[in-house]
Amino acid sequence: MSKFSTVWVFSDTASRLPELMGAARQLGENVRVIVQGNEPSAQAFRLGADAAYDLGTIPADRIIEDYADTLVQAIKSQGASALVLLPATRRCKALSARLGARLAAGVVNDANELVLQDGHLVATHMVYGGLAFGKEQITTPYAVTTLNSGVFEAATEDSARTGSATPLEFVAPKNPITCVSRNAKQSNSVDLGKARLVVSVGRGIGNQANISIAEALSNAMGAELGCSRPVAENEKWMERERYVGISGIMIKPELYLALGISGQIQHMVGANGAQIIMAINKDKNAPIFQYADYGLVGDLMKIVPALTEALKR
Amino acid sequence: MKIIACYKLIPEEQDITVNGDGTLNLSKTDAKISQFDLNAIEAACALKQQNSDIHIVAMSTGGEALANPKGRKDVLSRGPDELIVVSEPGLENALPHQTAATLAAAAQKSGFDLILCGDGSADLYAQQVGLLLGEALGVSAINGVSRIINLSDTQIQVERTLEDEVETLTLNLPAVVAVSTDINAPQIPSMKAILGAAKKPVQAWQSADLGLGNVSSYTTLLSVLAPQQKARARVIIEGDGEDQIAEFAEHLRKVIG
Repeated sequence: MSKFSTVWVFSDTASRLPELMGAARQLGENVRVIVQGNEPSAQAFRLGADAAYDLGTIPADRIIEDYADTLVQAIKSQGASALVLLPATRRCKALSARLGARLAAGVVNDANELVLQDGHLVATHMVYGGLAFGKEQITTPYAVTTLNSGVFEAATEDSARTGSATPLEFVAPKNPITCVSRNAKQSNSVDLGKARLVVSVGRGIGNQANISIAEALSNAMGAELGCSRPVAENEKWMERERYVGISGIMIKPELYLALGISGQIQHMVGANGAQIIMAINKDKNAPIFQYADYGLVGDLMKIVPALTEALKR
Repeated sequence: MKIIACYKLIPEEQDITVNGDGTLNLSKTDAKISQFDLNAIEAACALKQQNSDIHIVAMSTGGEALANPKGRKDVLSRGPDELIVVSEPGLENALPHQTAATLAAAAQKSGFDLILCGDGSADLYAQQVGLLLGEALGVSAINGVSRIINLSDTQIQVERTLEDEVETLTLNLPAVVAVSTDINAPQIPSMKAILGAAKKPVQAWQSADLGLGNVSSYTTLLSVLAPQQKARARVIIEGDGEDQIAEFAEHLRKVIG
């Protein structure tokens, strides 16, 4: 078997659907999509769905996770084995566990790679905070996985493809959860994950006041400012949202410029996705230089202001 | 009211090194309580501060590391009134479905109104055990809880933080709630709490005490390997004189574009 006979797709986030469809079409003969409403249904067909199923309008006090029984009924009605693909959002992770329990299926979250080996899904996901990747084989007839973004190519839309969705009747769960209210999140201005250029500060900067020289450099470059774990967690010089590394955030900028960061593996797992790594450190034996494309050995207090001036010119 | 706070012992990630073949060397690591589970324990203690009728049971399943008296004292010094461990050789490699089945049997035996878990363990980070535990027990379960708004005898109201929105949810008890790291900042136990921990009751069970047969896993972990290191140019300039800084600035300018 080189493909699953059936792949089910559900996305709680519209923007993730094209990529999930790309994965589904690559992994399955027959792609069935669960949608909410007409426009998403039409889009699912344009993206290559062989069938679509509509959950209808979801009442405000109900959460999507409570549709697990509804999904399970639809999935089981179409065969005793299938792959279920969801995006790796918090909501879909809650849903994936519920589907796994009800379908007696193995579940892998945050998949970074999906392949079919000997008829079984093998999913790769990050373990030990990013130090390593675990390869996990799902051995059950149904397999459930939540997929990270950027793993598969998005399916392209074909406007000639159309179809109509089958409505699904809501199967009430045994223990419903009531949604009292829902509010858009106060957006945090820091989003290192999307920054093209990141200047990052380690404990080698010396003290909190010295961070201003790194700030001046990052402003001159148009970069976001990040930091290492000790700067955020031990010294509390910067917010947690800015800390790169194990249990912090993983970034993929075009440039990562590390200032006074020694370069422990636990930090580098967060920065290794950078296209180019540059580092300044006074210790020429610092491990950071093993990971750097360009390194400069010397005093930050002298180098950083000089670089800032040089870039302004 | 009885609250179970679940935790897992995991290897201290700061001590893990990578072998030449990409496998991880865990031989120099100490066992520690998974960071996210400290949030769950702290959340249980915060509820007890508001309501002294609460009895907190810390609960874990795993291998022989759970027999270590120091580790038992560590968890009890953080506030729970009692500890229940289900441990035997082999359980340290349990995958989520198996862990949830064991915890469910232990929770059923001990009784509970509310179970608190971390969103995932800092080692495998499967992010399923709390949710699967709820399924195995036939009670409501939810993840990503960033605040407990209210706890009554029959319901718990929580705030749940998602990627782009925040929900307020009501769950009927009994329930399982997996908390995110935003919920609190776990405290470091005081000397008095550490000394008091030794006097708290501990129950050690095995699968057989729970009538649990062999729970097979739905997945097989094939390998755990560090990612291949990206090849880097490693152009290292030594010295912070004007010329060296200018050379470095030139590289930086090219990269910025």
